[in-house]
Amino acid sequence: MKRTSALRSRLVVGSVLWAVGLIAVSNVVILGLVLHRYPGWTVHLGAMSVAGIGLLVAGLVQLRSILAPFRQLQSRLSSVRDGREQRIEGAYPTEVGPLVDDLNALLDHRARLVERAISRAGDLAHGLKTPLAVLGQEAERLTAAGQYEPAAIIGAQVERMRRQIDYHLAQARAAASGATLGASCAVLASAEGLSRTLERLYVERGVSIRYDVPRAHCVRVQREDLDEMLGNLLDNACKWARSRVSMESGDLAGRTTILVDDDGPGLPVELRERVLQRGVRADEAAPGSGFGLAIVRDLAELHEGSISLEASPLGGVRARLVLPSCTSASTS
Amino acid sequence: MRVLVVEDEALLSRQLATALGEAGYAVDCAEDGEKADFMGQTEGYDAVVLDLGLPKIDGLTLLRRWREQGLSVPVVVLTARGAWHEKVQGIDGGADDYVSKPFRMEELLARLRALIRRSGGQANPLLRSGALSLDPRSARVTKDGVPVKLTGHEFRVLSYLMHQQGRVVSQSELTEHIYAQDFDRDSNTVEVFVARLRRKLGASCIETVRGLGYRMEGSS
Repeated sequence: MKRTSALRSRLVVGSVLWAVGLIAVSNVVILGLVLHRYPGWTVHLGAMSVAGIGLLVAGLVQLRSILAPFRQLQSRLSSVRDGREQRIEGAYPTEVGPLVDDLNALLDHRARLVERAISRAGDLAHGLKTPLAVLGQEAERLTAAGQYEPAAIIGAQVERMRRQIDYHLAQARAAASGATLGASCAVLASAEGLSRTLERLYVERGVSIRYDVPRAHCVRVQREDLDEMLGNLLDNACKWARSRVSMESGDLAGRTTILVDDDGPGLPVELRERVLQRGVRADEAAPGSGFGLAIVRDLAELHEGSISLEASPLGGVRARLVLPSCTSASTS
Repeated sequence: MRVLVVEDEALLSRQLATALGEAGYAVDCAEDGEKADFMGQTEGYDAVVLDLGLPKIDGLTLLRRWREQGLSVPVVVLTARGAWHEKVQGIDGGADDYVSKPFRMEELLARLRALIRRSGGQANPLLRSGALSLDPRSARVTKDGVPVKLTGHEFRVLSYLMHQQGRVVSQSELTEHIYAQDFDRDSNTVEVFVARLRRKLGASCIETVRGLGYRMEGSS
C-alpha cells in the first residue's frame, strides 16, 4: 500500500497557515483603525491583508485535504461493492492506511469463506451422486428381474433427488458467487470452451455450433456461472437442433445480450414462459434434467440479468440472455 | 471388445462390470488412479470408463497424462461432477464423452458403443461384411437376415474383427481385446473361436492372412 503525507502534518501545516493568516488579518484591521490617517501606510496594509487572506485560504485548503482520503476510500469501497474492483486500491495517508489494510484483509477473508462454502456444497452434492448412481442401477436391475413396481419407485426417487441436488448446487454456487466481488468473464472464452465440448458430446447427431462473439465482450459474472448458463442454453439448443446452433453477442449501454439460436422444431408461444419455470419442461420425454432452463433463469436473475425465449430466424427457439456488461468501450 | 472400468465405489464398479459383461464386452476393473494408469498403459483396451474423483491419481490428471503420452484409447468420463465448466475441463483434458452420475446404463452403453465404432472408423451403427451384419446395440448377428446364435467369446472375436474391417488383425491383438485380464488366456483358443465362427457363418467370412493374422472384408 502506497502512503501519502500523514494527516497529522497536514493538520499542523493547515492550522499554522490559518493562525498566521488570522493574525495578519486582525493586525490589518487594528492597524487600519489607528493608521488610517497616514496615507503612506495604506499600501503596506493592502499588501498585508492580501497576504493574510492568502494564508487563510491556504490553511483552509490544507485542512480540507484531510478529508480527501476518506472520500477516495468511500468511492473505492462502492466500486468494490459494485464488482468493478476486488480490493481497495490507491495511496492513503499513514493514519488511514491500516484501516484500508484491515478492510482488504476482511475482503480476502470473505472471499476465502465463500470459496470454501462453494467447495463444501460441491462435495456434499458429489458425495451423494455416486450412491444415487448405485441405487439407480439397482432399480434397473429390478426392472430386468421383472419387479417393476419397486424399480419404478426407486428410479423416480433417484431422478427426483438428482434434480434437487443439481438445482440446489447451482443455486448455492450462484448465491455464493453473487457475493463474490469483482467477477468478470469474457463471453468468447466461455463460448469457445462450450462449443468445443458440445460438438464433441453431440458428434453422433452432427450438430455444428457457430459463434460470433467479439473478443471485447465481457460480463460481470464468474466464469463458472457464465459456463453454466450458456452451457444449459447451448445444450438445450443442440438437443432440439436439426443440424445448426448459432450464438452471437451484442453490447449496448452497459448490458450484454447473448442470443442462442437453433434450427429445431421451435416452441409454442404459450410454453415459452412455462419452460423457464422450475420443474417444468416442454416435453417430458426430452433428455436432460428439465431444470436446465430454470437454473439459467435463477443464475441470470441473481446477476441482475434476464432470460427470455422467442422464435429464432433459424426456425427453432432463440434464447435471449441479458447480463450486466463490463466491456470497457461499449461497441455493438 | 475389451473395456477398462475405473471406479472407486466397489458396488458401482461391480454393477458396471456386470452390465458391460452382459452387453458382450470383456471387462477389467481398477479402483484407483495408479492401478488404472498401469493397466491402461500395459493392456490394449478398446474403451475406458473413467471416474474423475479417484484415490492416488485423480481421473483428470490420469487422462491428461495418457493423452500426453499418446495413448489414444477412447475414454468416457463417468462422474458426479456435472457442472458445465467441469465438462469443458473433462473434454479439454482429452475425454471423448462425458456422462454425469446418476446415469442410465442404457445411455452409457449407447455412448460407449458409438465411441468404439467411431474409433474403428465405422460411421454406420450397423456393421456389415458380405452377407453378415452385426448390431452392437443388441449384440445380435444375422446372416442373410437370419439370426445366428453365438457364444460370448465368439461374439467378441467377430465384433472386434468387424470393427477393424479391411485390416489384418494378429492373433495376439485379438487375444488382447477379447479377454479380461484375470482370464486364463491361451492363444490357441482364438483359433478355436475362428473355426467355430467359420462353421456357423461360412468358411469365407474370415480370411486367414498367413503368418499375420485374420481379416474380414468391409461392406462394399
